[in-house]
Amino acid sequence: MSRLACLLVPLFPLAARLRAEPELAGEALAVTAGNGAAALIVAATRSARRLGVTTGMTLTQARALVPKLAARNRDGACERAAQEALAEIAERFSPRIETAGPGLVFLDADGLAGRFHPGSPPTQNSTPEHELGRALLAAARHAGLPARVGIAGSKLAAQVAAQTATGSDAGDDAAPRVVAAGDEARFLAPLPLARLAPELRLGETLTRWGIRSIGDFARLPAAEVVSRLGPAGAELHTVARGVDPRPLLPREPPLDLTEGSELEWPLVTLEPFLFLAHAALDRISRRLEIRGLGCAHLALELTLEPAGHDARAWELPAPTRDTKTLLTLVRLALEARPPGAASAEGAVAIAAFLFTATPDRTRPEQGTLFGPPALSPERLATTLARLFALLGPDRVGSPRPVDGHRPERLALVPFAPPAAPMILKRVPRAATPPPSASGKGLLAVRTLRPPIELEVLVEPRPADREPAPTHIQSLANESNDKRPTIAGAVRIAAGPWQLEEGWWSDRPVAREYWDVELDAAGLFRIYRDVATGRWSADGVYD
Amino acid sequence: MAEAFATPALPLPAVLQRLAGPLAARLRSGRELAALQGVAIHDTPRPAPWSTALPGLARLLPGGLPRGELVELTAGRSSGRFACALMLLAAATSAGENAALIDLGDALDPQSAAPAGIDWTRLLWARPRAVREALAATEAALTGGLPLVLLDLGLPPLPGGRGAEAMWLRLARSARQHDALLVVTSPYRVAGPAASTVLELTRGHARWSGAGAAPRLLAGADGRLTLTKAHRLLAPQAQALRLALPA
Repeated sequence: MSRLACLLVPLFPLAARLRAEPELAGEALAVTAGNGAAALIVAATRSARRLGVTTGMTLTQARALVPKLAARNRDGACERAAQEALAEIAERFSPRIETAGPGLVFLDADGLAGRFHPGSPPTQNSTPEHELGRALLAAARHAGLPARVGIAGSKLAAQVAAQTATGSDAGDDAAPRVVAAGDEARFLAPLPLARLAPELRLGETLTRWGIRSIGDFARLPAAEVVSRLGPAGAELHTVARGVDPRPLLPREPPLDLTEGSELEWPLVTLEPFLFLAHAALDRISRRLEIRGLGCAHLALELTLEPAGHDARAWELPAPTRDTKTLLTLVRLALEARPPGAASAEGAVAIAAFLFTATPDRTRPEQGTLFGPPALSPERLATTLARLFALLGPDRVGSPRPVDGHRPERLALVPFAPPAAPMILKRVPRAATPPPSASGKGLLAVRTLRPPIELEVLVEPRPADREPAPTHIQSLANESNDKRPTIAGAVRIAAGPWQLEEGWWSDRPVAREYWDVELDAAGLFRIYRDVATGRWSADGVYD
Repeated sequence: MAEAFATPALPLPAVLQRLAGPLAARLRSGRELAALQGVAIHDTPRPAPWSTALPGLARLLPGGLPRGELVELTAGRSSGRFACALMLLAAATSAGENAALIDLGDALDPQSAAPAGIDWTRLLWARPRAVREALAATEAALTGGLPLVLLDLGLPPLPGGRGAEAMWLRLARSARQHDALLVVTSPYRVAGPAASTVLELTRGHARWSGAGAAPRLLAGADGRLTLTKAHRLLAPQAQALRLALPA
């Protein structure tokens, strides 16, 4: 007979709210459905219940009892995220799980108990299945969801076991309740018939027959029940006997993780939103940790007031779970272009938000014994994401040479260093061969991007030689503002060298290059654009 | 020594004074005391310094640049500062280490820098627009565990000033914490007391080939590398630097 574990979160709308706003946990808080005076309380914290607040009351009635009662409306985004988080907790233990309703998840516990070892001496409440239950409770607590656990051979028995789990292990957690294999019918027998949740007409019929408990119903002959109550009755009878009429329906895990919230008050400024975004991203990060994955793509959807939506997306250079990095990306993007900036309606406020993270595998790490220490993929991913956030994706990467001759050209590819060599290579010592002979110690060119426009005086030379620059001075215009100043008499000039590129295209480049040494200002590489006759400096020998 | 203890009439300072002489004669270091007591002293393993292919530097800093510290290299235009930076990167990446170049001046041209021998796959290139961004990017690179981070501040004027002194101290501390070498190359001193080693490059003459009617060609440049600040450095030391233009 198969074994099933039921992970149940009582007062699920409240638990989902408290997961998003954990600071409200000790307060008198009620979660309501509906608006204004018609708002009905659907769940309340223990503090509120102690003061007389019950479900079904209107918010006005509850506030008459507890004037300082905090109230939050039901939040669909919060509840969906909490439901996903609950399913992910179950998936940590078993690949076969079924989401049966809000705050209710079943998982196939067949063979799982063997992984858990009770302490010695074993007691009635310290079996491997009890240990499994405790591990489930601990995982749920870590995810911010106060859950209860029941383990039995059928869904109904497991669910009832979870609902009736009592006795405290630690804090607010009830101890897991385990129904021994084959004991399901006896466990269910004393329970009232209403636990089976029969259809109305079927329930009325059974009441007329004088059946009050599940046990009474289970004792009826199966064939007689089928002939009198039909297929619905037969299914209910099977459940009453502690047998599942249908097998577990495993869910397909969703590709993306979502976290968000519908805000009670629309937010006009960015800071309070970022505070909430941090909490949401932190929850995403913890869910990714459960799966052992990182966030490769992050999307944000904002619902704006009075109307409109705003959507953003970020491609991460490598999967990461670092909340700070993700938040920095969001902050920089929203600061650069505030929500609704393009809106014609003027000031807008954020009414709801939803983060969607596309998970991917983090890069594996392989250390070496004798080579240089390898970079931690997780840390590298975080660093790259921070640099992306700080500088923009077009300004971070690994450089590559590009075909062509223009010095200002460049190519960037994502930085993904190869694995560290197994043995540290020897580095040539500086004292060894002279630079020119070894190919090291080479004079480099510091490229000026974009080139600095120049004013150049040229002096005619003999008929067989090109006129050479004699004095250069950077132009005093807006583009040269805050750029290095180049000015001075030319001591030595060498050139010109022709550079021609893209003559076949509609943007051909033809330049005459000179190397010039100024009296006191250094060595420069300058050129004259053949088409326009303008002079520019595009490099400094340095 | 036994006599010193055997004289109870003497006050304690006098006893200590009597002890100091014979002890100083017998022991010159704590290591010897440990040897007398039979206690083994294990040196804390100091990280190996960065070997570089920098001409002249090996004679100034035997072994190379110190890991876990901030090294500042200052130089004016055409003094070979960028060439030294590229050589450092080439030495690190060709040895299988990863490195970051925080390039404030956006000065790297991969095509012309290819002869330096940098393994591009191991180089992270970040191109900030201002000093503030450059410092933040440097800190991010250090935190990311890159063993060599080279911050090139480009040519003056520096966009955004020299950066706050506290930030440089923070970067030096980050380099120590992550056992990384942080090299700052700038036109003038910026890191102040945060730099544990300071090198200055001064420009010499450019070398040209060809004279008279023959076409002139730039052949290279000479400079002088001076170590002005380092541990246990009593006076500045200098070495000639000779750089050639790639063929």
